[in-house]
Amino acid sequence: MENLLWLVPALPFAGALILIITGTRLSRPLVSLIGVGSVGVSALLTLILGSQFLSAGPTEPVYQQVVWQWFSVEGFNPGIAFHLDALSMVFIFVITFVGFLIHLYSTAYMADDDGFARFFAYLNLFVGSMLVLVLADNLVLLYLGWEGVGLCSYLLIGFWYKEPANGYAARKAFIITRVGDTALAIGLFMLFQLFGTLHIQTIATEAPQTWAVGSQAATIIAFLLLGGAVGKSGQLPLQTWLPDAMAGPTPVSALIHAATMVTAGVYLITRMHVIFELAPTAMLTVAIIGAVTLLIAGCAALAQSDLKRVLAYSTISQIGYMFLALGVGAWSAGIFHFMIHAFFKALLFLSAGAIIISLHHEQNMFRMGGLRKLLPAVFWTFLIGSASLAALPLITAGFYSKDQILWYAMAGERGNTWLYLAGLLGAFITAIYTFRMVFITFYGAPKSHVTHPPGPIITVPLIILAVLSLLGGFIELPHNFGHVVLFSDFLTPLLPAIHANDALGTSEWIFQLVAAIISLSGVYLAYVFYLQKPALQANMEQSSLFRAVHRFWYSGWGFDKLYDTLFVRPYVFLARINKNDIIDKIYAALAAIAQVLNRSLAQTQSGILRWYMMGVVVGALLIITLSLLP
Amino acid sequence: METTATTHLPSDYLPILIQFAAALGFVIFAIVVTHLIGPKRHSKVKDAAWECGVESVGNARTPVSYKYFMTAILFVIFDVEVIFLYPWAVNFRGLGMEGFIQMIVFMTMLMLGFYYVIKKGILKWE
Amino acid sequence: MRLSDLYFLMPLLILVGAATLNMLVVAVKRNHKVIFGITIVAHLVAVFTLLQLNGSSYQIPPFFVMDGWGIFNLGLILLTSLFVTLLSYAYFEQREERKEEYYLLLILATLGACVLVISQHFMALFLGLEILSVALYSLIAYLRTRERSDEAGIKYLILAALSSAFLLFGMALVYAVTGTMSFPEIGVYLQSVSELPLLLLTGFGLMIVGIGFKLGIVPFHMWAPDVYEGAPAPVTAFIATVSKGGMMGLLIRFFSQADAYRYANLMLIFTIIAIASMLAGNLLALRQKNIKRLLAYSSIAHLGYILVAFLAGNRLGVEAVSFYLVAYFITSLGAFGVVALLSDTERDADQLEDYRGLFWRRPATAAVFTAMLLSLAGIPLTAGFVGKFYILASGVNTQQWLLVLMLVLNSVIGLYYYIKVIAAMFAQTKSVQERRKVLHPALSFASGGAMAILGLLLIWIGVYPTSLVQLIRGLLATFMTTF
Repeated sequence: MENLLWLVPALPFAGALILIITGTRLSRPLVSLIGVGSVGVSALLTLILGSQFLSAGPTEPVYQQVVWQWFSVEGFNPGIAFHLDALSMVFIFVITFVGFLIHLYSTAYMADDDGFARFFAYLNLFVGSMLVLVLADNLVLLYLGWEGVGLCSYLLIGFWYKEPANGYAARKAFIITRVGDTALAIGLFMLFQLFGTLHIQTIATEAPQTWAVGSQAATIIAFLLLGGAVGKSGQLPLQTWLPDAMAGPTPVSALIHAATMVTAGVYLITRMHVIFELAPTAMLTVAIIGAVTLLIAGCAALAQSDLKRVLAYSTISQIGYMFLALGVGAWSAGIFHFMIHAFFKALLFLSAGAIIISLHHEQNMFRMGGLRKLLPAVFWTFLIGSASLAALPLITAGFYSKDQILWYAMAGERGNTWLYLAGLLGAFITAIYTFRMVFITFYGAPKSHVTHPPGPIITVPLIILAVLSLLGGFIELPHNFGHVVLFSDFLTPLLPAIHANDALGTSEWIFQLVAAIISLSGVYLAYVFYLQKPALQANMEQSSLFRAVHRFWYSGWGFDKLYDTLFVRPYVFLARINKNDIIDKIYAALAAIAQVLNRSLAQTQSGILRWYMMGVVVGALLIITLSLLP
Repeated sequence: METTATTHLPSDYLPILIQFAAALGFVIFAIVVTHLIGPKRHSKVKDAAWECGVESVGNARTPVSYKYFMTAILFVIFDVEVIFLYPWAVNFRGLGMEGFIQMIVFMTMLMLGFYYVIKKGILKWE
Repeated sequence: MRLSDLYFLMPLLILVGAATLNMLVVAVKRNHKVIFGITIVAHLVAVFTLLQLNGSSYQIPPFFVMDGWGIFNLGLILLTSLFVTLLSYAYFEQREERKEEYYLLLILATLGACVLVISQHFMALFLGLEILSVALYSLIAYLRTRERSDEAGIKYLILAALSSAFLLFGMALVYAVTGTMSFPEIGVYLQSVSELPLLLLTGFGLMIVGIGFKLGIVPFHMWAPDVYEGAPAPVTAFIATVSKGGMMGLLIRFFSQADAYRYANLMLIFTIIAIASMLAGNLLALRQKNIKRLLAYSSIAHLGYILVAFLAGNRLGVEAVSFYLVAYFITSLGAFGVVALLSDTERDADQLEDYRGLFWRRPATAAVFTAMLLSLAGIPLTAGFVGKFYILASGVNTQQWLLVLMLVLNSVIGLYYYIKVIAAMFAQTKSVQERRKVLHPALSFASGGAMAILGLLLIWIGVYPTSLVQLIRGLLATFMTTF
């Protein structure tokens, strides 16, 4: 079976290829079949591979597959090889499985769109690229997948390209992530220069022997890799693209900008954890970035009125949690939260999509309301997703994954109180904005009409994801509470386990209790403000301070404006000065020289035989002269 | 003729210079002297360009029947064949059976070609 | 003469037999199909008998040697000639002229090239060269009613005769000094002297003239565009591939058997020639509007690239040359095949304008041509890229930085005019060009099939070059023992 590994990314690529070439000529059911089927078979293969993987026993199971060896000249032998270990297994499971559900959902969501085939072609291409990213056994291939998903993100954000704003959003996403990509590329160059290879396993084994902990090279490279991760994952300071990326169709937001692509940064850091562990400064930075991002994004989410933008900021904030986990060395907790987050955030986006399409592309929450009765199925799934996001204790998966992060932020070797407090405050804010969203959207008086009630193709993926959002957490329970460690055991041979501070060991239940109370009180606060006493809110809106803060948070802490004055304006100014492009002149001159040479050489091709003969004779003379040189 | 790389002096090239001078000198000498000492008697026939006995008046690019070239080329081919045959015949005994077979192969090929030539009517003049 | 000699010369004898048979059939009754069939079968049988000779080294003193290098080149030449034949059928079927003798001449030209690559003696060399050249004179001028055919034929005849004279003179000088015409014995002589006599160096220099002419490298390249333009498209393909490849095979054999790589002067000459060829070829092609001329210039440049690998003078270099020859042959056949495919009864499709918007009229043909042009430009995933990479590797391996630099620079220049053609093919044309009269579709089946195979081969070698590399390494094992 493991020989079929290559099929997992190959199938979506094949689907994309078929759809790109013949897409417009195929009927819609056929397009759906190819688009959904390719990812579906991939998901099936992944499940089979996964079950094999689990039954392989406690020895570190790794599947290596050289798919393609290009050539081998002088010790240079490029090719494509896949490396499947526990970490990639988690990722390909999420990508193919959640990806499949979202594909399925899209067949209904996009049913009336003109670009139906184009949509599935892009989506398949994305899934293929993302799989390449997480399966790559060397960093070049990883980078290829990295850029591939970036391209697909660009294409899909600007999917409705006739609206200029969507095109700008797509460009913004592309350019800002490019900043991070450049850092990543430089990091890769440095790695290659130092190790002579970009093979991940080789680097992982050689790095600890080459560098001491805290060595300068390791720190620089770790920071460069972090730059790439920050760009892709929408973390501070490169987070501004993600809210705008919501311009794409909602399934895209669910798949790319919530469940998979934006977590590529998490994957990268985890994959290169050996280097990060050699660079404690970088680790601390990861944790701080995570903590600050989760707070900032959480506050921004509080002020949004667009349903999808709330979810976008919440994604940034949740990835902040993952970064926090990675930064304190709780690798397995970070990946666990990634998986759970993929479930509930995909669920939330898809439910939001169902609402949006039912209300005829209405995204403003304040024009919704009362949908509890009108869209009961969507309401319940959305509620489950929200509960998981807000980490309601005991019943939701989100509680278990987030609790783990909070616990290690406090008790882990690299953790400290400040990180813990940031996480805790973030959890509070999360609960507020989540249920603010729920109450505004589903309760109160109905403000709009449901025109397209969702069909079964939309609700079935929602229900599956809802079940996972509830039950997914029970594979990893805290050790004072059930002590199920299936997930971390699965990752343990690969990722170093984290040890909790023994002094705090006995008091873990206190922290859990605090976290539970915090999230419940957040929900209560939201209830009071938005459902019970809307007057309170009205009162607050009177104060100018509140309005200023609201405006500030609404604009995402003014980062766009800041970057506009710091970078965009000076750049545009410079571009104006250099309108005629001085650098370009050099190339133009080269081209001109080539033209002149061409003209003068063309004179020799006169077509006159005796000149040709003279050419031969002169050539002979030159050669004889040269051969007689001493 | 063999000199080592280190001993090249300008004077070493003197023979070449002399050679050039001699060649040039001879050419000039020959041209000048023939003009000087040759007797000059003009007549209409003598002053006409010599063209292998063909009338040298009119367009030089008159078409010549390709049959002429064909016959000429065939003549050359069979001429060469005879050149091959003659030494073979002289050494017939020495070359023995192998030589005989080789010549048979050669002649067969030639005759096959000859068959082609006849079938294509190349030897028909009209 | 041993019987086993006949066994080892079987591919050549089959060609001789096929030529004779063709001649007889023509004498009895002209039939294009029958002649075409005989030619195809002869090529296939010759390839088959060649496959029986595993890469062992077999001497046929004093003229020939059948070793891995010879077998590699024979196979390449025979297969290339086979493809040229496949392309020729539809091309000549459209034309009024007598078609049958064409195949006869093609077989003879192939035979000449075959003799060339297995010769290890000046006599055999000259014999092969002349069989090839004489057949080519008439092949080039084959469509005699066309405007530029005669011109091309005459130009080639005169220049080839001139360069042959140089070659012959050079061989005579070498013979005068060494007293032998056999390559290995020349090698033995060269081993015995510490410094080369001037006469011998002059002889080598003069031989380079003859060799350089056939390879079409600067400064003996000027015939190439005129002849490429005037010759029928399949013949152009033949000149670009078999004729040049045969000479390249001979050159490498001569240099390795006589161990001439040791002489800095000869290396300097070839370095200058290589750089000049790359530059002149690419620069001349820049503004060329005639596809056949453009490809002629491009082939000048490509021979320059091959010389870079040749100059490495080691095992890797010969491997690179072999690989590049295969890639270049496939690509040239494909490119000229497209030209032949698009030609009509009056003229060859050699103007850039003929290709404008081709993609929208004949997508498959345009796709194949695009692949071929990309391969010529050395874009990854085509055979041309791997070949060029191989050459770069061999250049870097022997630290020939100047050559490597020129190679890279010229690849950039080359990209311009290849892309220009591709851009023309994908351009949307406003006015619908009048469709050329297409022959009976069954007629172009052979051409179409051949083009499809070439396209697939190109991509296959570009993606999985390993199998070809293994084949080349296996065959070179017997040849490269001297290194």
